[in-house]
Amino acid sequence: MLKFLKQVGDYAKETVQAGRYIGQGLAVTFDHMQRRPITVQYPYEKLILGERFRGRIHFEFDKCIACEVCVRVCPINLPVVDWEFDKASKKKKLNHYSIDFGVCIFCGNCVEYCPTNCLSMTEEYELSTYDRHELNYDSVALGRLPYKVTNDPMVTPLRELVYLPKGVMDPHDLPADAPRAGARPEDLVQYEK
Amino acid sequence: MNPGIDLQGTFIKSLMDLGLPSGTAKAIWMPVPMMLMIIGATVGVLVTTWLERKISAAAQQRIGPEYIGPAGLLAPVADGLKLVFKEDVVPAKSDSLLFTLGPIIVVIPVFLSFLIVPFGQHLIITDVSMGVFLWIALSSVQPIGLLMAGYASNNKYSLLGGLRAAAQSISYEIPLALAVLAIAMMSNSLSTVDIVNQQSGYGILGWNVWRQPVGFIIFWIAALAECERLPFDLPEAEEELVAGYQTEYAGMKFGLFYLGSYVNLVLSALLVAILYLGGWDFPIPISLIASWLGVSETNPVLQIVDASLGITMTILKAYFLIFLAILLRWTVPRVRIDQLLDLGWKFLLPVGLVNLLLTAALKLAFPFAFGG
Repeated sequence: MLKFLKQVGDYAKETVQAGRYIGQGLAVTFDHMQRRPITVQYPYEKLILGERFRGRIHFEFDKCIACEVCVRVCPINLPVVDWEFDKASKKKKLNHYSIDFGVCIFCGNCVEYCPTNCLSMTEEYELSTYDRHELNYDSVALGRLPYKVTNDPMVTPLRELVYLPKGVMDPHDLPADAPRAGARPEDLVQYEK
Repeated sequence: MNPGIDLQGTFIKSLMDLGLPSGTAKAIWMPVPMMLMIIGATVGVLVTTWLERKISAAAQQRIGPEYIGPAGLLAPVADGLKLVFKEDVVPAKSDSLLFTLGPIIVVIPVFLSFLIVPFGQHLIITDVSMGVFLWIALSSVQPIGLLMAGYASNNKYSLLGGLRAAAQSISYEIPLALAVLAIAMMSNSLSTVDIVNQQSGYGILGWNVWRQPVGFIIFWIAALAECERLPFDLPEAEEELVAGYQTEYAGMKFGLFYLGSYVNLVLSALLVAILYLGGWDFPIPISLIASWLGVSETNPVLQIVDASLGITMTILKAYFLIFLAILLRWTVPRVRIDQLLDLGWKFLLPVGLVNLLLTAALKLAFPFAFGG
């Protein structure tokens, strides 16, 4: 009898505990309702991306020495380097260069290892097409620079979390001259001196 | 108790004054409250779906519908229009008769249950003397429709969803009925109007929540399970069963299921408000306010204010409960089927029985407070 009562008591205790946990959970959900939405209304508002954003790769044809380091460091040997040996100047002459962004994983190894810095990352991420073959960019397409978000009159640029002042989470209605959190590179240089 | 406004009596009397026989006058009156209730229920559903989206968005720090009408108010209308114009697909190897009958059987009892929802002393379609019992009986018709839909779709997910829905509805009907039984015992009546009247007189202190806190929680949990709201939405459980019994449905047939589930939520919230939160009762007794203001209770202005306040209070209480249900949706994860049945049979049922016995004992011991 005593054992049974103890079981009932334990069960009741567990039930009260479960009820309290649900109450705590409700308090969390309720608290979230008072926070401002962090929505970025995408086609009309866009985020200013961080400096280290890894977007579509930019390629400068004239700088390339056709060394094929980019192909070797690429996890799937993606860049296609079409060159021929020019006997007159005893140098490789680049004919075509292309990267298929439908396959690229944007790891940035090619950019990292390119000896002449002819590869670089851009801020472009809107790569949708109706046909996947359109994503195979040739050297001309790779040489184009994306339109900057801050220059687009149709778009309200919003600062990303890295560019916000300390403690601020919401980029809406922020004064333009609000400084970003942390020390800027020039401040760090000053500090070193 | 003051009689309040008797719209029916006044309407019929004014028609009879115009020279119509009393039978015709009554026949003209009859469809008016029914139409009003159906329209009211549908508008309630539209508001609820909008609220669901907006509150869900707020709980997740999103904005929710914004461009469809002011603050996205027309989003549910757009939803409805889309469903109306969508092609009505009946799967090739399904049982087309049962497939069509399913959603109809699900929706009709829910709308029929609005028969017994009072918004005031006379603001009710019919004051059936066993109102709440009628609601419980009608709500057990629903699983037949769900089972029908699940079976007729000729789809494993649908069948599983239908079976789950039936099992869930049947197991939670019992604690629901037990909770209602305790209320009925306290108010000596099954009529919704009597139940509210029994709670009125002392304002917020007289409401049944204080005398039946356990019953209130049991009823609310069971009502959420009956509506297949999120902690208990395993008949549709989209991660495992695609959409349960709704999988094969499109167009207006799906629309009926959608409508039915939300009407059911509104109805359950209204019934919780009526059974436990004093229905149309204002937190401060109206007669007390009237005596403070020095107005007699038969004052026509006071009666109009009283009636509109009653409607507002009922709807406010119901929407508070709907808000709670939506908040609960984003707080509590879905339970497993065995957990669901455990909660129903091993927890709610014994607790409901103990609550019933306790209410009976308290009624014998303190007849003045527990309706002797």
